[in-house]
Amino acid sequence: MRDQKKDISNKVISGVPSLEKASTHIEGLDEILGGGLPRGRTTVVGGSPGSGKTLLGLEFLYRGALAGEPGIFVGFEEPLDHLRQNAATLGWDLAALEQDRRIGLVDGRIRPDTLISGDFSLKGLLAGVSGMSREMGAKRVVIDALEVVLRLYETPRQVRNELHLLNDWLLSEGLTAIMTIRPPVSGSVPSFEDFFDSMGDCVLRLDARVENQLSKRRLRVVKYRGSGFGSNEYPYVITGGGLHIAPISTVGLRHKALGEKMPTGLDRLDDILDGGCRRASCNLFAGLPGTGKTMLASTLTNSACSRGEKVLYLSYEESEAAVIGNMLGAGLFLDPHVESGHLMFMAVMPEAMGPEEHLIRVMTRIDAFGPQHVVVDAISACERMGGKQAAFDFLVRLINHCKEQGITTLLVNQISGATSHMEISGADISSIIDTVIFLSYVEGAGETNRVIQALKSRGSAHSNQKQEFVITDTGIRILEPYVGEGKVLTGAARRLQEARDAAEAERLAVEVKAKEVELEGLKIIQRQTANRRRFQAEMRGANPESSPATPGTEVPGEPENGTRGKGS
Amino acid sequence: MNEKITRSDSTHAEDDFFRLRLFVAGDEPNSLKARATLFRLCDQYLRDRYDITIVDVLEDYQAALRHQVTVVPTLMVDAPPPERVIVGSLSDEDEVLAALGFTREGGRP
Repeated sequence: MRDQKKDISNKVISGVPSLEKASTHIEGLDEILGGGLPRGRTTVVGGSPGSGKTLLGLEFLYRGALAGEPGIFVGFEEPLDHLRQNAATLGWDLAALEQDRRIGLVDGRIRPDTLISGDFSLKGLLAGVSGMSREMGAKRVVIDALEVVLRLYETPRQVRNELHLLNDWLLSEGLTAIMTIRPPVSGSVPSFEDFFDSMGDCVLRLDARVENQLSKRRLRVVKYRGSGFGSNEYPYVITGGGLHIAPISTVGLRHKALGEKMPTGLDRLDDILDGGCRRASCNLFAGLPGTGKTMLASTLTNSACSRGEKVLYLSYEESEAAVIGNMLGAGLFLDPHVESGHLMFMAVMPEAMGPEEHLIRVMTRIDAFGPQHVVVDAISACERMGGKQAAFDFLVRLINHCKEQGITTLLVNQISGATSHMEISGADISSIIDTVIFLSYVEGAGETNRVIQALKSRGSAHSNQKQEFVITDTGIRILEPYVGEGKVLTGAARRLQEARDAAEAERLAVEVKAKEVELEGLKIIQRQTANRRRFQAEMRGANPESSPATPGTEVPGEPENGTRGKGS
Repeated sequence: MNEKITRSDSTHAEDDFFRLRLFVAGDEPNSLKARATLFRLCDQYLRDRYDITIVDVLEDYQAALRHQVTVVPTLMVDAPPPERVIVGSLSDEDEVLAALGFTREGGRP
């Protein structure tokens, strides 16, 4: 699976070696692009206002400059000071890099009170940038918001001429270029979007939309001449450190194989699962409210932390303090694990942000913390990130990420009412779930009792039997399965049945004893009878063989003698 | 390297003297056109009270960057105030004259 990824970056098109790529050093983007942007060529980045085009360009330059490739930013829209300030909020010191001549900023804005009389071209700017580029030894250039200057032109012919001029200039300079463009409002200016796309060897689209009051950002590679690329829409967010793109399943599933079994912390559950959960697997604990899902997840968490492993606990319903506090009554002490650095909580309201931001925050945390296990409590709450689709997007990508890293996921899912098995996994993610543990109630004899059942356990023997469990002050305790007439007995019914059985056993034991005594009595009588007959025979002085009674007494006598011989 | 043409009889007051700068790109057609038009208009309307500096951005790219010259040709009127910028080949002479503060009839407002 790993090789597949390699194939993409080293793709050879009909014998021609792959074109050289310039790494963007932007998280996730290089992976989607199979290594980076086409070196010495132009990449067109289109997108609506606020989608982060300028930021993408700026980050490409900033990270490139840090990695030893100086670059020039040409902006037609924003004052350079705004740019520097915006960069500073992301922790990027552009001014320092300008000082070192590693980044050059060029203000391409045209004064708004400028009068226009006749034809003109961008040659002034291009001459300036060429000169600067020679001076700095620039390798990269970003031309931001070109559409602003193109609006000055009156005819489509002029626009086309300018784009040709720019294209020729870019090719002759040999710089790795990003050109950002906002799609024109239809009808307002001649449509030059198609031409733009044809100028770019690589075309990216950024899309920022709002669904269910939550903003969603998506990046898509529209084309990449001479290279393979991930063709999905990839979620991205703008965070305190720049752009983060989540390249999930970019070139195929690269899951690690399921690992060895690990104990769950409950011996009986280990028995049910034939040794425990497998590492790198995805485990779902589904159940009605109050059945003990969180406690079960906490039990596994406690067990893992006690073994010195790390757990990241994503709590979408309760605060860290609440989760820890709730477990105290059941004898689960999670606090020491937090203190020792084995357990980390991320408690956040699902509706606080969109699924992309949730995802990228979690993935960043996973990468920094390096847990062996991730708990999601609860996946049913993830719908509040922006609906069913949002929950699906978030979970599929999160679980994929974990599986790629060999991390075990423990998902808690709250279900309501009578639920068919199909609905238990929720969010339609059942295909990527390896083990399903279902917690439910069984009613009978005037009380409700908890039962636990493994519905599915991929690549492992397991018992599907329902087993009763109780929550005690020392945690969850799973009882021996009790099956009477094909039905699991729980609670009082179980205890009653157990009492009945005990009484029956006692009765049987007494009976056996009585039989034994009776048998012993019979044996004595038999022995006495045999002795008497032998005695009578001796008294008659006759040959014992001629006596007709002898065979009859000999037959019962033999096994009796054998038994006695063994006994003594 | 920049070309400077001064026509001054030094009898005019400072606020009546035109200081112009025209940014061009070598001998490309628009630049040549703008240059020719500008000289003609100045000779016709400004007589001996102007100087024109021609800056070729292909030779002095620093000036282009410094003065934020994005497109060429660009005509900058540095004096008298206010500063004005006219871009293009100056093909619409009425527009250029109006920007300089003249009408075709010759009078200054």
